[in-house]
Amino acid sequence: MSLMQTLRIGRLARPLEDLLRVPDHAFGYPLLRPEGLTEEAQEALLGLCPSGAFFREGRTFGLDLARCVGCGRCALARPEAVGEMKRLEVAVTRKEDLVQRVDLERGTFLDPGPPPPPRPELALPTLAFREVSAGDTGLADSEVALAGNPFNDMGRFGFSVVASPRHADALLVTGPVSRNMAEALRRTYEAVPEPKGVVAVGNEAISGGVFAGSPEVVGGVDRVVPVDVYVPGDPPRPGAILFGLLLLAGRVRQRLVGGVLR
Amino acid sequence: MDAVKEALREGRPVALFPDGEGVVLVAEVGRDVRVFRFGEGRRFPSLAAEFPAMDWWERALWERGYTPEGHPDPKPLRRHDLPYAFREFKELHEVPVGPVHAGIIEPGHFRFSVLGERIVNLEIRLGYQHRGLLALLPGKGPEAALLLVERAGSEPLAHALAFAQAWEEALGRKAPPRAQALRRAALELERAFGHLGHLAGLFTDIGYAYGATQVGRIRALLQGELDRLTGHRYGRNFLRVGGVWREGRPDLSALALYREELARLLPRLLKHPQVLDRMRYVGVVRRVEAEALGFVGPTARASGVARDLRQDDPAYLSFQPVVRQGGDVLARAQVYAEETLQALDYALHFLTHLPEGPLAQDLPPGDGEAMARVEAGRGEVFWFVRVAGGEVALAEGVDPSFKNWRALELAVRGEGLPDFPLCNKSFDLSYAGNDL
Ligand code: SF4
Repeated sequence: MSLMQTLRIGRLARPLEDLLRVPDHAFGYPLLRPEGLTEEAQEALLGLCPSGAFFREGRTFGLDLARCVGCGRCALARPEAVGEMKRLEVAVTRKEDLVQRVDLERGTFLDPGPPPPPRPELALPTLAFREVSAGDTGLADSEVALAGNPFNDMGRFGFSVVASPRHADALLVTGPVSRNMAEALRRTYEAVPEPKGVVAVGNEAISGGVFAGSPEVVGGVDRVVPVDVYVPGDPPRPGAILFGLLLLAGRVRQRLVGGVLR
Repeated sequence: MDAVKEALREGRPVALFPDGEGVVLVAEVGRDVRVFRFGEGRRFPSLAAEFPAMDWWERALWERGYTPEGHPDPKPLRRHDLPYAFREFKELHEVPVGPVHAGIIEPGHFRFSVLGERIVNLEIRLGYQHRGLLALLPGKGPEAALLLVERAGSEPLAHALAFAQAWEEALGRKAPPRAQALRRAALELERAFGHLGHLAGLFTDIGYAYGATQVGRIRALLQGELDRLTGHRYGRNFLRVGGVWREGRPDLSALALYREELARLLPRLLKHPQVLDRMRYVGVVRRVEAEALGFVGPTARASGVARDLRQDDPAYLSFQPVVRQGGDVLARAQVYAEETLQALDYALHFLTHLPEGPLAQDLPPGDGEAMARVEAGRGEVFWFVRVAGGEVALAEGVDPSFKNWRALELAVRGEGLPDFPLCNKSFDLSYAGNDL
């Protein structure tokens, strides 16, 4: 690469702070507003969400961010009951932290307590990733690739994507894991030397997304190999993926706890 | 059967799907669409021996429990629980590759039979991305169905558009004019974004980092405009049955600027000696092959087939498809480059001539059936939908990649093994789209 070109790329790279913001024109991640969750609003939300992200269990009303496809219809129709989080610091180390639960009697969010810390053995100055597409439509894969482009430039954090699992410290896995890919995923995981991590990228990789329940998919990466970090999104923007990688490496603190940025 | 054979001899298959008793063949002859229903129960006469374009279609039906009587080589296409016999060539060395590849790419398995470094035969086995999408559709309302349809290939806007149009036509409705213009603008941005991705990938594969970076930079900026228009970086959640959900504001002067920059940049990049040396005369698909196997989209147009579904759309004024004769990697790259500029011109045209009026009309739950086709970046997207009481009773979709995968088998014949990634990238097909 010529010096001239390196200089040009250097000018393109955006500060991390900018990458972690959802742009103004796009809808962020939805955030329940406990005070606006009247009986009527709950019914409306349960009826209007195309992906079935809202749920009600007894006296709890909830929203599963890993099911939300980010269409923004809930906040548009029911602004009193749903707001939005315009940040991409949404990666978590346990799945429960992707679910907002509101205790309807008390009108407050349930707090599942502090999340488990990232694994210290992966706190390395550089991390090499092998990407495995396991039933993804190609868009989450594309976002992983774009996380390496000159604007996002994951290389500046010491992250790189490598060809062989034997050269990798961790796997990035996308897709609901089709039945036909389960064995290949397991074997790729086994080929990665210890210590190794796994990042599930995108809603489908977390629990199947819109394919959950299909007999042709396993329904989430953690049903095949252990997962360290979950990055919700449909697909997650490159900034969200970068935050997930930083979380895996223990360089940032998890911000989403019980589905709410804290 | 004579009429079916004549249609296939003169035209090409658009879709073949089971519908209760028998199968339905949709074929394009000239610019017309013909529909044939044949077979008895779950058996139908195979056409694959005479028309190789029918091979994968019939295999797909075979694994769904239909019998193409007389098919020369029935084996599964997506199911991996059924036995699969690769063709064996005595005296040749076999190189199995995949399903997990070296790059960031969807999974598939390629079995090369090589003599030294020359590829004598390639057999492609897919199905790793099979998620049972079509089977999930029946019983869904329009919104839940669209979630699945948007995941039927890596071009969500084209799929959503074909599906929405089929649904609207089934109920005898049309989206309002403003929605129609916005839909087409988004479709053209999706095409430009996809094409630039193919080009950046090609430059990467030949080690032309300057080309890859420059194209990648403009592509990333363009994606920002698609994001602005649709609210999603790939245009999901934008279309609805009856219109569009929202109307974003892309920056028109920025779009015009990217177009100008690309118009200066692309011809220069494609004439670079490194590009000519690696892409010319490599991975050739001849016109007779493209016609006999029913290829669509840039793959077919780079081999001299002047067909683009936008020719039939009055909104596109007097549309001229981009055609090249070479059929090699370079010809496909040239088609991508020129179609990118054309797509941006149309996107700008639609966005500057937006008709007034609402963004959507609500469709009453009704009954009916219809099919629709849309020219996606990779070629023809097809959806058939039968609506009953506002829900899907039967839906069948075809991604252009399904029609084009075998072009890769032809293109690599006689090439060196190291040219495979380049040939593959020149088609840049969707694996998930094939594996519905
Ligand atoms: S943004 Fe859309 S998908 Fe997400 S919770 Fe709201 S309505 Fe459901």
